[in-house]
Amino acid sequence: MKRKMGLLLAIVLLVGTVLAGCSKNNENAAESSNSADPGTGSNASAGASGPDISKPVELTWYLLGDANPDTPKVMDEFNKMLKKDLNATVKLNFTTWNDWSTKYNLLLTAGEKIDMIFASSWAGYFKYAKQGAFMDLTDLLPQYAPEVQGQVPAQDWSDVTIGGKIYAVPNTNPEYTPDGLVYREDWRKELNLPEIKDLDSIEAYMDGIKKNKQGVIPINGSALNEIYTMFLYYHDLHSIGGDSGVVVSKSYDTPRDIVAYPFTPEYEAWVKKTKEWADKGFWSKNTLSSKQEAGDLIKTGTGAIYWRNPPGASGFITDVQKNDPKVELGYFPFTRFHNYAMPTMAIANGMAIPRSAANPERSLMVLDKIRTDPKYYNLITYGIEGYHYDLINDGKNIEMPSKSQDPAKVQAYGIADWGWRNKELMKSGIGGWDGLDKLNEEFSNMTKPDIFSPISMDYDPVKSEYAAVNQVIDQYGKPLMLGLVPDVDKAIQTYRDKLTAAGIDKVLDYVKQQANAYYDEKNIK
Amino acid sequence: MKRKKDPATILFQIIAYSTVTILTVLCLLPFWLVVIGSFTTENEIIGEGFKLWPNALSLDAYHAAFSNPKQILQAYWVTTWITFVGSIAGLFLTSMAGYVLSRGDFKYRNSFAFFMYFTTLFGGGLIPWYILIVKYLALKDSYLVMIIPSLISAWNIILMKNFMKSIPDSIVESARIDGANDFTIYTRLIMPLSTPGLATIGLFLALGYWNDWFTANIFITTEAKYPLQFFLYKILANAAVLRTNIAANLSAVNFTAPAETLKMAVAVIVTGPIVFLYPFIQKYFVKGLTIGAVKG
Repeated sequence: MKRKMGLLLAIVLLVGTVLAGCSKNNENAAESSNSADPGTGSNASAGASGPDISKPVELTWYLLGDANPDTPKVMDEFNKMLKKDLNATVKLNFTTWNDWSTKYNLLLTAGEKIDMIFASSWAGYFKYAKQGAFMDLTDLLPQYAPEVQGQVPAQDWSDVTIGGKIYAVPNTNPEYTPDGLVYREDWRKELNLPEIKDLDSIEAYMDGIKKNKQGVIPINGSALNEIYTMFLYYHDLHSIGGDSGVVVSKSYDTPRDIVAYPFTPEYEAWVKKTKEWADKGFWSKNTLSSKQEAGDLIKTGTGAIYWRNPPGASGFITDVQKNDPKVELGYFPFTRFHNYAMPTMAIANGMAIPRSAANPERSLMVLDKIRTDPKYYNLITYGIEGYHYDLINDGKNIEMPSKSQDPAKVQAYGIADWGWRNKELMKSGIGGWDGLDKLNEEFSNMTKPDIFSPISMDYDPVKSEYAAVNQVIDQYGKPLMLGLVPDVDKAIQTYRDKLTAAGIDKVLDYVKQQANAYYDEKNIK
Repeated sequence: MKRKKDPATILFQIIAYSTVTILTVLCLLPFWLVVIGSFTTENEIIGEGFKLWPNALSLDAYHAAFSNPKQILQAYWVTTWITFVGSIAGLFLTSMAGYVLSRGDFKYRNSFAFFMYFTTLFGGGLIPWYILIVKYLALKDSYLVMIIPSLISAWNIILMKNFMKSIPDSIVESARIDGANDFTIYTRLIMPLSTPGLATIGLFLALGYWNDWFTANIFITTEAKYPLQFFLYKILANAAVLRTNIAANLSAVNFTAPAETLKMAVAVIVTGPIVFLYPFIQKYFVKGLTIGAVKG
């Protein structure tokens, strides 16, 4: 009897909590939809009478990465100016790099009062915008950020437009980040190898290094990125919507021709070549399990080639030469295979306003200020003048930290300022690798807009097939890509069979459908 | 008086000693690799892998970890403080709950125990938890958020309850006859009698608080409030991110960290103090197990 009572009580309690949980959820949903409505409502009313800044506000902004130790000091200065001009202060918060994507997701989904947050295609901008995490800025921009509206090129606005609505302010800093290879140029000269300009010279280079340099493996450590990106660029294949596995568009000129590359003759020829390379020892047999970056092994003198994009290469080369000035490194961007380059999408970096923001208007006004007024831009980006930096050459270049300070104590100031970058206000440093400027000039002369990255893919309708296909790529595709199989023809056959069994056709259809929808929307043939 | 050893005993001792020695070495080896790895140069680890004795000793990793000694000391202080307060408060609450559930005259003890146990089977997940703490409890960026959520766990309560059940009821009865009320019985009799149990749970709690970086990761935004584990984990995350393509954007940050050795140095810094906690508590730990066994 007693036991029965206990059980009954437990059940009652249980049911009670479940019900409580449900009602909480409902309340929650109701509240969030409510809070969104008054937000837009008040915007409209404020819009009629012009920006009203009589009420002092504290804005909460979130950036990725870490604060600089001097950030509180810099923000104090910044807020003093801002208080005077816009009657607002900004509290800058950072996600830190630990699990930043989890935290970013929490910040946006939990409905915290955040007035501005970093947004980016690589941080899920399209996904979050479609889920309604960001505020629609289309009507707010002309009112509260008129200068920025004119500053950002139309193409960039179109990059952030989803269904006719603008959800973020992209940065204005055309960047090129194609893949490419960093290599030991001094060894190439020493061994009289041909200059690297196409696939054959790359092969000759690796061959020369392997034969003449004792103990050096051309691509030491993990070689997958080097070979895989080279394959895509060499055959002008394009991943869709970031990383789409084996489903690619066949060329820039025929973007609607979408295939799964393992079924193409180009792939067959390619893996036969890589098999040859692997047998010659251009990379090690355990390269797939190696956790070592090829770049680290260049530093120790046992590797010769490393995969990087141009800004990454610039940082890497500067770093290596600081440690050992005798080492000379060259760079070969894969764009030279087909002689065109796509700039990164404008929304590779930008700022957005979460739907739960308390003061979106003021936030936009502050952003407008930062992006147009050098005083604000320099302070929040480079720190305090005369302490963190000096302007030289009539303000064209920057020297960090300031000459007047002791370099042992004062370091250059730097935070994740990518979201509000504006080419006109940016200062380039002096020193470092001079190749980057040349490359950027080369790219800007052969630029074509990126028509593959903005296609938003969430794979939800084909979730299980997508997971199965990725599993097959890991298990069969990667060894094949690196030629680490005894019999290539048989391995290709197995790979294709497994892909078909995993449901590659369904994934392919889904990608095609998403891509075509995007091309229709943007009028791309 | 010495007993004469026959060959069989000697053989046994040789085998026993060598087995134990080998096992000890096997246990110490990984720890040694971590410690010595933290003193190796980065290039040597990349080029030649971890070694029992490096070609050259280097303090680079510790320089990187202690690049800002004030911050790391502050983090030590935060962690120590949280561990202390959290363990004491958690121990108090857990033992009270365990005591109530172990009392035979508490009518609904089984259903309450079931209700507590039940929560261990299901969880709301990360996002509801986050919303609860940030929106409804408004604990974001507060020291309390690192203490409160892990104060009580159902598992510890059940452990405590079972331990207290082994204390004979007659003790409680005799105290009652002498006129003690429930709380006096709890503080004057039950608590001292359950030191082994308390030590066990205390160790669990202290380790939990000491090792917790996740709550700080999600909820703490002020740098001065970072606990040690998170602070060091953050250094590692920085070192890792500098190796990705994002680093290309971080041109202004001239901080290159030795990643492999840094991991080892961080492990040494973090585990150092807590390792010394074990010998102190182990005493109670062993006693607890034997007492439980004897009294059944």
